[in-house]
Amino acid sequence: MVKVYSFEGCPWCDKVKRFLDARGVEYEVRDVEESEEAAKECLKISGDLAVPVTTIDGVNYVVGFDKRKIEELLATA
Amino acid sequence: MKERIHKDVVIIGAGMAGLTAALYCGRMNLDTLVLENGLIGGQIANATDIENYPGFVSVRGGDLISTIQTQAENFGAVIDEFDEIEKVSLKTSPKIIETQERIYEADVVIIASGMNRRKLPLPEEKKFSGRGVHYCELCDGHAYDGKIIAVAGGGNAAVDAANFLTKYAKKLYLIHRSELRADDFSQKRLRANEKVTIMLQTDIKALRGDKRLEEVEVFDKKSGETKTLSIDGIFVNIGVEPNTQLFKDELTLTASGRIPAGEDCKTEIAGVFAAGDVREKEIRQLTTAAADGTTAALLAEKYLSKLKETDLNG
Ligand SMILES: Cc1cc2nc3c(=O)[nH]c(=O)nc-3n(C[C@H](O)[C@H](O)[C@H](O)COP(=O)(O)OP(=O)(O)OC[C@H]3O[C@@H](n4cnc5c(N)ncnc54)[C@H](O)[C@@H]3O)c2cc1C
Repeated sequence: MVKVYSFEGCPWCDKVKRFLDARGVEYEVRDVEESEEAAKECLKISGDLAVPVTTIDGVNYVVGFDKRKIEELLATA
Repeated sequence: MKERIHKDVVIIGAGMAGLTAALYCGRMNLDTLVLENGLIGGQIANATDIENYPGFVSVRGGDLISTIQTQAENFGAVIDEFDEIEKVSLKTSPKIIETQERIYEADVVIIASGMNRRKLPLPEEKKFSGRGVHYCELCDGHAYDGKIIAVAGGGNAAVDAANFLTKYAKKLYLIHRSELRADDFSQKRLRANEKVTIMLQTDIKALRGDKRLEEVEVFDKKSGETKTLSIDGIFVNIGVEPNTQLFKDELTLTASGRIPAGEDCKTEIAGVFAAGDVREKEIRQLTTAAADGTTAALLAEKYLSKLKETDLNG
């Protein structure tokens, strides 16, 4: 399952979500401001709280909106 | 092979100028595509209180833009915010806009690519970009809760960013190479905050850190002293530069890198218009961007009618 670490009102997070929607990809939103657990997970994955972070396996991830890299990540699913 | 698609009008950039042009073009039943490679709304996408756009006492940039986006889409304009432009040929007929996925043939191109924040002019900028060096406080500020933050710059955008970031920072430095240019109200608010240290006449000389930014070296021009500040992140607001890289081989640019065009938004190439902050002009505001979008769209329609007439008459 694709996970998007993000928060409400984060414009680049919204762009990642719209991109996944446009590609018909299902994903789980992990809100790093609402949930401390999500923030901890995000830190563990990328070593940072900068979002959006998109991941499938919690190991490979993409920070920010980078279409090509997100496509590569999705191709590994 | 990339798919080739014909469009009456391709608009480059979905800021105030581009979206206004899209609204008008759509309403005139022109087959209109807007290409956006960043955030829809451009410079205003994240602005909090706009108080000088007629019709609103105060409005959030995001709200204003999403309304205009709806208007443009309701009139049939299509906005693509995912497919990025690779190259353009404006002197051909039709004009060619090649994206990652498609080749667009357009009779009219409206360039509304606006401006982006100027990057910190240091070789280490690239290494730390996104890892301590940031350009969008609303996007990245939250990652610095309880941390030490610096803001570079001294205009309204910098001081507003600093005021916003005080909600996260345990300590905030505002570093500026000359004197503050921001309005009195914002300056007073910042000075009143005890977490804030304002460093004027100060140059940023170097960024240091292992994996991410840990320190900045600054030079105080008054005392001649060099200092190292431990910081977790720096938000850069040192001005803007026009987005015209893509067009530099196609159009003559002005000394400031903008596109020369008069109030009619016509460039040196027939059927290519420049609208908004990317056009060389004295006043760059939302209202003037909207005005340019309107002018470019209406004159684009005239140009297209003439083009069709000529085609019909051989
Ligand atoms: C923080 C801030 C606050 C401001 N506050 C006010 C205010 O209160 N009132 C006011 O009147 N003005 C304000 N301004 C000025 C105002 O924002 C600008 O004058 C206006 O937004 C210009 O609109 P534009 O459409 O010309 O350009 P932009 O807003 O710069 O939009 C250009 C768009 O084109 C896109 N683009 C660029 N290159 C490409 C490419 N190659 N392919 C596809 N897309 C591309 C960009 O991503 C961007 O979305 C403010 C500016 C800033 C930075």
